[in-house]
Amino acid sequence: MSEDTSRRVGAALVVGGGIGGMQAALDLAESGVKVYLVERGPAIGGRMAQLDKTFPTNDCSTCTISPRLVECGRHPNIEIMVNAEVTALSGSPGDFTATILRKPTYVNQDLCNGCTACIEACVYKRAISEFNEGLSRRTAVHILYPQAVPLKAVIDPTTCLWLKNGKCVKTCMKACGMNAIDFDQQPVTVDVEVGAVVLAPGFNVYNAKLSEEFGYGRYANVLTAIEFERLLSASGPTRGHIARPSDQQEPKRIAFFQCVGSRDQNHKYCSSVCCMYATKEAMLAKEHVPGVDCQIFFMDVRAFGKGYDAFFERAKRQGVKFTRCRISSLKEVPATKELLVAYQDEDGELKKETFDLVILSVGMEPPKGAAELAKITGIELNTYGFCQTSPLNPVETTRPGVFVCGTFAEPKDISESVTQASGAAAAALQTIGSGRGTLVEEKVYPRELAVEGEEPRIGVFVCHCGNNIAGVVNVPNVVEYAKGLPGVVHAENIIYACAADSLKALPDKIKEHGLNRVVIASCTPRTHEPLFQDTLREAGLNPYLFEMANIRDQCSWVHSKEPEKATDKSRALVKMAVWRASTLEPIHETPLDLNHQALVIGGGVSGMTTALSLADQGFKVFLVEQEKQLGGNLLHLSSTIQGVDPQAHVEFLVKRVESSALIEVATGMKVAKVEGFVGAFKTTLVAVDSPIQRLIEHGVTIVATGAQEYRGGEYLLGQHPNVITQGDLEARLSENGSGVAGARSVVMVQCVGPWGEKEFYCSRICCGVAVKNALRLKRLNPSTRVHVLYKEMRTYGFKEELYTKAREEGVIFVRYEDANPPVVQATETGLRVEVAEPILGERLELDPDLVVLSEALVPRMDSGALAQILKVPQSREGFFLEAHIKLRPVDFSSEGVFLCGAAHYPKFAGECVVQASAAAGRAATVLTKQALTVGGVVAEVTPPKCTACLTCVRVCPFKVPIINAEGVAEINPAECRGCGICASECPAKAIEILHYKDRQIVAKTDAMLSRV
Amino acid sequence: MIKAQQKPFDEIRGMLGNAKNVLILGCGTCVTICFAGGEKEVAILASLLRMAEDIDNGDRQFREHTVKRQCEWEFLDGAAEEVKNADLVVSLACGIGVQATAQRYPDKPVVPGVNTSFLGLILEQGIWSERCVACGNCVLDKTGGICPVARCSKSLLNGPCGGSVGGKCEISPEVDCAWQLIHDKLTAAGRAEELEEITPPKDWRTSQSGGPRKIVREDLRV
Repeated sequence: MSEDTSRRVGAALVVGGGIGGMQAALDLAESGVKVYLVERGPAIGGRMAQLDKTFPTNDCSTCTISPRLVECGRHPNIEIMVNAEVTALSGSPGDFTATILRKPTYVNQDLCNGCTACIEACVYKRAISEFNEGLSRRTAVHILYPQAVPLKAVIDPTTCLWLKNGKCVKTCMKACGMNAIDFDQQPVTVDVEVGAVVLAPGFNVYNAKLSEEFGYGRYANVLTAIEFERLLSASGPTRGHIARPSDQQEPKRIAFFQCVGSRDQNHKYCSSVCCMYATKEAMLAKEHVPGVDCQIFFMDVRAFGKGYDAFFERAKRQGVKFTRCRISSLKEVPATKELLVAYQDEDGELKKETFDLVILSVGMEPPKGAAELAKITGIELNTYGFCQTSPLNPVETTRPGVFVCGTFAEPKDISESVTQASGAAAAALQTIGSGRGTLVEEKVYPRELAVEGEEPRIGVFVCHCGNNIAGVVNVPNVVEYAKGLPGVVHAENIIYACAADSLKALPDKIKEHGLNRVVIASCTPRTHEPLFQDTLREAGLNPYLFEMANIRDQCSWVHSKEPEKATDKSRALVKMAVWRASTLEPIHETPLDLNHQALVIGGGVSGMTTALSLADQGFKVFLVEQEKQLGGNLLHLSSTIQGVDPQAHVEFLVKRVESSALIEVATGMKVAKVEGFVGAFKTTLVAVDSPIQRLIEHGVTIVATGAQEYRGGEYLLGQHPNVITQGDLEARLSENGSGVAGARSVVMVQCVGPWGEKEFYCSRICCGVAVKNALRLKRLNPSTRVHVLYKEMRTYGFKEELYTKAREEGVIFVRYEDANPPVVQATETGLRVEVAEPILGERLELDPDLVVLSEALVPRMDSGALAQILKVPQSREGFFLEAHIKLRPVDFSSEGVFLCGAAHYPKFAGECVVQASAAAGRAATVLTKQALTVGGVVAEVTPPKCTACLTCVRVCPFKVPIINAEGVAEINPAECRGCGICASECPAKAIEILHYKDRQIVAKTDAMLSRV
Repeated sequence: MIKAQQKPFDEIRGMLGNAKNVLILGCGTCVTICFAGGEKEVAILASLLRMAEDIDNGDRQFREHTVKRQCEWEFLDGAAEEVKNADLVVSLACGIGVQATAQRYPDKPVVPGVNTSFLGLILEQGIWSERCVACGNCVLDKTGGICPVARCSKSLLNGPCGGSVGGKCEISPEVDCAWQLIHDKLTAAGRAEELEEITPPKDWRTSQSGGPRKIVREDLRV
């Protein structure tokens, strides 16, 4: 691709600002691509921003997504366009022109500072809150949600009284101190040139009103799961208090109905996430309302992801009830508004029970406007109306250069959306190729003034934030007080510190008064600190010579009814900031050489895909494989669930890898030792069967070592010739079925694994593989009897269709329970399988010619040793453990080390490809950089004080500190994340975190407690 | 190494008497490593004492100083100025350090801020365990590297006793039976038959039972 001389525009268009779009945008931007992030709504964040918690960790969704939002909002290479839509896309890969329609928001986005004065003033307060799913009201001018990015007000023209019928005194306009309200705004169309496009428009929640039998919209106490999510949320309409809509009473019994808008006549696919989110919501309901009874009515519990089975078990232990059935009927009891549910329990008994709340686990549909988006961008949709993707590379659409991620490709959870987003970003980077870096500009700052040794000369700027602060706090009084504080040589008030003219004036004031420290008393550092720090740099001051006092969010907003005390508190906060400011020191970041080669460990489909993606992006790759041959597990596969020939694909990959000038392959070697850190790794490889060694220098490492079939001795495997595994069956099926010619009757047993000694986990692929192979057996000979003995059928996403097809073609699915597993015995004539069928309550006896075991995929035997060499963690199952299950699914917590494929968790080939691309995309964000920036807020050791007690070595979550040859702790600033744990634990006080040294923190507490 | 634990706060405060200027003297070696009396612990204790003093409207002043090892004269000399200015020294060193400080500065009251607990090691961050009682006559060669003197509650040399249940000692289900460990270790090493040999009673004269001990190495003396 790199030899292609056609035009490569160094920009990308990302459509959709949900978690997928954000991740793609960030990866592209970090890799030196200019990104236009187009969002239809008034702010980015998407569905994830609406969630209360996320499974399977029950981490707060807002806390997880907020840093990403802020990062997107601040990134110099990302231009966010809200209230905008793509209306045309012309051109070819590398050189597209996209037309974007920017609808008016009626608020000048450059002027608005998100102070909310207009919202307070707006007279129309009855608009439906979309963010709260209609469960609360908002004003016509509004900010989508408190953490919204961009944090700018927008006016909704459908409810604004002035825009609708010209009847309003425009109170918002009067309230706005920035003159940002602009009713004359018109739609604007802009053309942008981009090299690639990533589509991430997300999904549409199924309209539950269409499933009339569940009474949604008719019965007050029937809610959708996304509505319930808002009820659970502390920032939701009830502030996290669960109340029945009919009478605001706390519910005592809650029922969840699964598969509403999934796995039905109109939706022949599984939405993949509802089982887990319903489980999560039930657990959270139990936390919010102690003693509440939660019952989930389901068909199969689809807990097929990493850690999901453990989560499901945890829910059961916490008392969430799971009932396997679809209900027979639901009626409202008119007097009490309770809901009467009739259902048949597993013993066949018809039961009737009442619930206070019914939550419908609504499924995912293609996003609104998908057809139109497809038409505009020239892509095709599949039969369900989702994006048609390439079977073995699900980030590719039918139009080259246009990629897809997230739920638009297939229903999926957050972590998989994030993975696919990184994969799509990598694919876009491959397309953009040499265009990378051509459209981003680096800001040039003046030379930094040396302030070391100077007495502090502090300037204090107290912001009014329009009326936000000044309406409560006596700002002039705070300014006068600040003037008297030690070290302060200048203090003034300022109407909006963040306004463009204020920021422009700040460097002049720094020069005029000879300031060497700056304190701004205003809003929150979360949104504004980088802005002010940047202004300091423009004035030649080190950005660490800056301190903020949050006198808005933490003072005027919370003490609005006590102005005098609020003023006192503001004075105290300013004093604390000033005392700390005088202790601040400049911190210098230094560039460090970065090796631009990647090491990929594992030459299966994941490793090869990663290597090729990086090579296509122009990076050198060293690919090491333990076996003599590239290809990994895929070599043993005769078909894939997507219906593609795996051998042809392997051959294609191997050929491309071997012919790539940028990829060097070492087969028959493995990793023996790793030294160094991100940007400067030194890895020793040894040959598997000889003493030959090689030293590789590289900047990043990608682990793609795969997994293996369990193959324990259960069910006579290895003892009876006609008991084989799905892996064996693959091989037999490959020879045109001759290997199974005599098999008239086949029994497949699902969930075979080392469950006697290990906690059960779902291997994710076995249900799909069993269904696929059952269908292949039927295709070879329709009269072959195939029984699949299963615990739960987990054919998630579009794989549900295969499950349906298998049943249509006569494959018989028999469920068994954990307590009563099937028994396989050798008889004189062959094999006897007995299984207790729970619905019939009978023991079935089958005499198959062949028993096929769906063996669990287990971590490779040597993965523990590799984990130690690489200093990376493993999950309880022994798979490699990523940095964050939701938001950093292909990163390790050690910087510069990534993972993909079955080494992370069992997955299908297509999923491996996506994750492999994602790892390449993430690795590219490191490799793109010219040099690493080292330093900043990191830990620093004072060697003479160190007693080599090893505490830092033990407590560091990133395994950075070492005891060096001199016998003292050494912390490499290139690896240190500045979390501060070592500094707070060090018993000899030999470690400090720069910018947060003891005296810098104690200065604040001393200021707070001093009586002056 | 030596493991110690800081004394209860009230006990330490109770030892201050009429002293107005108190020096909290830390030690930078063993007690630092076991989080009992290093620079950080000195700072925390001093802060707590100052707060308590404020609450009670007292006027005591607290200063902080930490030397590399309080059991070495030369290091102690480095604290001379600080000690001179104090009415009383709270030593956060082990019993050795407290005595050394008291001996070096004979006219200053020196009080212990920690209880010296045992000779042991860290099992994991925050958990320490005893390993040696300095009996002066090591038997670890015979017991697979597991000390019955320190780790058997009865210091039996021919164990286990009847109180060993399920591999645990009868004094607590938390305590491993040292003799079970020894037995398992030697069995694994194919040395189980060695346990059939009866070990005669130990000569305890090398231990503290023989009175205060002293080592003299003529070859090293200067």
